Amino acid sequence: MSDHLPYRGHDEAETTGIGLAPSAMATAEAVGIGIGDTIPEGPPDAEHKRKLGIAAWIAITWLVVMLLLAILAPVLPIPDPTETFPEIARQGPSSGHLLGGDALGRDLLSRIIWGGRASFAVGFGAVAVGLAVGGLLGLITGFFRGRVDAIVTPLMSLLLAIPQFVLALSLVTVLASADDVSSARRIGVVIVGLGVVSIPILGRITRANTLAWSEREFVTAAKAMGAKNFRIMFRDVLPNVVPAMLSIALLGVGVAIIAEGGLSVFGVGVQLPTPSWGNIIAEARGQLRQAPHIVLFTSVVLFFTVLSLNFLGDVISQRFEVREGQL
Amino acid sequence: MTAGGLLKRLAQLIITVLAVTLFSAFLLELLPGDPVEVLVPFGSDEQREAVREDLDLDQPFIARYGTWLSGFVTGDMGNYYTVSSKRPVWDRLKEAFPKSAQLVLYSQILALIIAIPVAVFAAAKKDTFFDRMSNTTAFAMLAIPNFALALVLQYYLGVKWKIFPTSGYTPITENPAEHFEKMVLPCITLAVGQIAIYMRLLRSDMIATLQQDFILLAKAKGMRSKRILFRHALRPSSLTLLTVAGLNVGTLIGGALIVEVLFQIPGMGFMLQEAIGQRQIVAFQSLVAIIAIIYVIVNFGVDLLYTVLDPRIRNERSA
Amino acid sequence: MGTQSGGILLKRTPRSFLVIAGLLALSLVAAACGGGDDSGDGGSDDGGGGDTGTPVAGGNLSYGLEAETSGGWCLPESQLAISGIQVAKTIYDTLTAPNDKDEYVPFLAESVEPNEDYTEWTITLREGIKFHDGTDLDATVVKNNLDAYRGAYPARSPLLFVFVFEDVASVDVVDDLTVKVTTSVPWPAFPATLYGSGRVGMVAQAQLDDPDTCDKNLIGTGPFKLDEWVVNDHLTASKNPDYWRTDADGNQLPYLDSVEYRPFVEETSRVNALESGEINGMHTNDASSIEQVGLGKEAGSLGEVKSDQFSEVSYLMFNTSKPPFDNQTARQAVAYALNRDEMNTVVFLDQMTMASGPFAKGVTGYLEDTGFPSFDLDKAKELVAEYESETGEPLSFTITSANSAATVQITSFIQQKAKAAGMDVNLKPIEQAAQINTALGDDWQSMYWRNHPGGDPDTQYNWWYGGSPVNFGKFDDAQMNELLDQGRTTADQAERATIYEDINKLFSEKMYNVWTNWSNWTIGTAPDVNGILGPDLPDGSAPFPGLATGHPVSGVWISQ
Repeated sequence: MSDHLPYRGHDEAETTGIGLAPSAMATAEAVGIGIGDTIPEGPPDAEHKRKLGIAAWIAITWLVVMLLLAILAPVLPIPDPTETFPEIARQGPSSGHLLGGDALGRDLLSRIIWGGRASFAVGFGAVAVGLAVGGLLGLITGFFRGRVDAIVTPLMSLLLAIPQFVLALSLVTVLASADDVSSARRIGVVIVGLGVVSIPILGRITRANTLAWSEREFVTAAKAMGAKNFRIMFRDVLPNVVPAMLSIALLGVGVAIIAEGGLSVFGVGVQLPTPSWGNIIAEARGQLRQAPHIVLFTSVVLFFTVLSLNFLGDVISQRFEVREGQL
Repeated sequence: MTAGGLLKRLAQLIITVLAVTLFSAFLLELLPGDPVEVLVPFGSDEQREAVREDLDLDQPFIARYGTWLSGFVTGDMGNYYTVSSKRPVWDRLKEAFPKSAQLVLYSQILALIIAIPVAVFAAAKKDTFFDRMSNTTAFAMLAIPNFALALVLQYYLGVKWKIFPTSGYTPITENPAEHFEKMVLPCITLAVGQIAIYMRLLRSDMIATLQQDFILLAKAKGMRSKRILFRHALRPSSLTLLTVAGLNVGTLIGGALIVEVLFQIPGMGFMLQEAIGQRQIVAFQSLVAIIAIIYVIVNFGVDLLYTVLDPRIRNERSA
Repeated sequence: MGTQSGGILLKRTPRSFLVIAGLLALSLVAAACGGGDDSGDGGSDDGGGGDTGTPVAGGNLSYGLEAETSGGWCLPESQLAISGIQVAKTIYDTLTAPNDKDEYVPFLAESVEPNEDYTEWTITLREGIKFHDGTDLDATVVKNNLDAYRGAYPARSPLLFVFVFEDVASVDVVDDLTVKVTTSVPWPAFPATLYGSGRVGMVAQAQLDDPDTCDKNLIGTGPFKLDEWVVNDHLTASKNPDYWRTDADGNQLPYLDSVEYRPFVEETSRVNALESGEINGMHTNDASSIEQVGLGKEAGSLGEVKSDQFSEVSYLMFNTSKPPFDNQTARQAVAYALNRDEMNTVVFLDQMTMASGPFAKGVTGYLEDTGFPSFDLDKAKELVAEYESETGEPLSFTITSANSAATVQITSFIQQKAKAAGMDVNLKPIEQAAQINTALGDDWQSMYWRNHPGGDPDTQYNWWYGGSPVNFGKFDDAQMNELLDQGRTTADQAERATIYEDINKLFSEKMYNVWTNWSNWTIGTAPDVNGILGPDLPDGSAPFPGLATGHPVSGVWISQ
């Protein structure tokens, strides 16, 4: 078995009928390569494996804090994110307002905390959609192969032939242009749009891993012992595939959070005045001269969050030796 | 690749494009409202009827798709519709395409130029300070949101310090210096994420290559390490890079959309956005088809190149 | 194709409503003509639109527009917004043009004279004026143009202008240089219609008859000839050396060698491009951009021409046909709750003029004080309580608006202020395109809106008359109707002013709308760009100070 990634696409292309051959096939891996470097470098260092590094703890802490802030936003002693205080409009940090105010004099700290709520909702929501649909399809196609695989996998791969952001933008624009899409429902639209985009990516990864695990002796043995297919799939295969899914899913959350910001540039992200990290930045893009802190603070929070997600994805893939390349 | 293999891949390509365009056509079906109302809201009844007929809006979905397809394969990408005229999509596309293509190409080159030497040295000096620093930097670069980076670069390097122009496009034939000047900020924005991807990828690939027998042999023979690195080790690893570079064209196309809007470069992303907003449904369909075709062809080409370049490597790797 | 709610709404909306709505849409974007007021005069110091020094010929203006006019400039069929008008004013001339007193004086025409009862207008053309293709501007081509605008020229099918020129009965060629227009009603304001905010340019016969490329093969008599138009990228035009106009000193106009228009949809990119010197002119009505231009002017790095006259007004419009805003107390509660000074500071960065009524400065009927209430939180709370005891319902409502970031900033500010007074407010941002349809319907409570550009107040008749389909607020006020009728039939200017001032006050009393601001259109330039408002008109009167429907470029010059 080789230990390198991108070549695997070739072999798979042959098994999937009209597979898109490595182009689309390997896109998922490209995302993986890009963000969570899942390539083990030589024999994994035993000590490295046993303990989480300090960096990982920092990342975990950051994410936990961010998530807690987002979840607890309604009960935190912060102003309403849409309440305006004229005196802090475009002003930097002050005692009552730790991160200053935005262009309208809304408390930036509060907007970032509430924005985290929307951003995490989009990030985790989109990935949840991707995992639920893509993960399940990947598991089924990888486990049963045959006809299901020959039909479903090429279909999923087709979505990969449209560049992801192009697809997301088209989907969200179309879905959001229905007449009665309110602010709250817009988040749903963004989640669905980005979720659809992530389906083939998560599906691919899951399928590739399922394929490999389904070949293992214990699965064959279970089959020989007459265990039901679905039971084997969920009880024996799935737990082994989860680390790979989780690793890519964490990266996916970061990608989706950033993508929401991209959509906000086009005016189809989370609907203002509901803040998200992406639309705070997009909304304040004319303020860099007068109040650079709005874009900069929010970008920094966004950056560290995505960095933490990427890092944890990487850590997981290393700890569990998720070697997509060799599966 | 055998002739049969080639044929098979070609068939795949065609099926892909068919499916993708069918999908995008379906997506447009979901848009609420009558497209004619949006295209020529205040045209006369005859004008509106003409547009309706031209777009085959009275036809069922599949028939309409068929008409579009038969036009598309003969090079007719349809029209933009306004009250006074219809303009071939191609007229606009031929202006927009080079801009996006250059954006993607330059970013790709910029990313590789920076990533390759850094990755090679990092691999050669594995676990040194340089290696760790470059690796960490790459990791950080992956988390930078491109739209925020675009804004910051545009404001600080463009408006505040006036180092680079902040927007617009000049054809290379008109003024090469200006052309590249205007491309700097958009390309940096796009390249940052790619640099990181290539760096990390090439580094780990190189590390693996450097442990292979033929490298060890070359070392044993006393060959200079620079020569080993760049002539012997980089070559096989570069094929990996090539494949991923092809795949990343998709990411770049997506990123170019945002960059085009923020840097006012009227490329294909611009057209796409406009086509959705103005309900130019035929234009949208043609654009998505072209983007998908380009994307698939680029990777098809990469794949071909890959086989041509080094079949040995391929066999070895996939063994 | 999908016939979701949007389609259904369109279907059940009679077409004529849509057309009127379209006219509205036009006026919304085209807005009014601002006046060159104080800051325009102030502009003379720094050269931005000022008149320092003697104009010199040469140079290029590279001008950032807020949007591309992808429909092109087949003028009779076009629906031009400010960016489109700006380009039209570069390539084409209109028969009349407004001066600094908002009087419509002959421009491309030598004279435009009515008969006694204003039913016959004799348009006399200047001799020797040629289109860019070398053909003469004669009576025939002018007749064909006017026929094209009113929908009586077979090669062109306009729709909007058909309504504008509805009362034109016939257009006849009298001789080579004379055209007679007969109207079906007395029409004292006809010269203003001939200007049409700069949209009614005279188009060469060849363009008028062009079946395929009328929208992009532009041939006019204007100061610049079209060189090239690359959609979304640039439109370039070079000096028309045979232009018919000279400045007061007899120098040939235009001064510039060429003009380049570049659409910048991104406000930030446009102002950034101006500041970094990539363009040397732009227009904007965005507060943050206006502020940046102002700062640039203070620093001496930019020039600025700004105006708040004849502007369109932005406001919160109430649907008075259903609760809660069928109740005047509820409407007044919102008015008292809205701290408009704070709104200007916070939302508009103090760059806008807060409105006292629908009529901006310069417009007949304008009043500085219309009795519109000042911010009074206690009074607002009182009114809310009053409403609640009157109806037994809490005062809660939804604000429907366009979904752009700038608009949502405004509505969320209103939301905050209403909340502070005890009202419960939901925001419903919708697609801009869906907004007019929504307004025509009844499924909204309040809507953030922009309309009523300057010009003759009688043009507002349909928006406010009871029972009119485009009286979106759906109020039917006998007093209002009477005043509107009076205004229409009264000839005496002073009397009319009183009538429209009464309308203005009536609005404040009945509170059908809560006015927010008039737009202050601003032209930002490089410091060496002058003459934005244009040279004096042919009759020697000073140029119109308005900016909201573009400005001429024939008088723009660049200091050496």
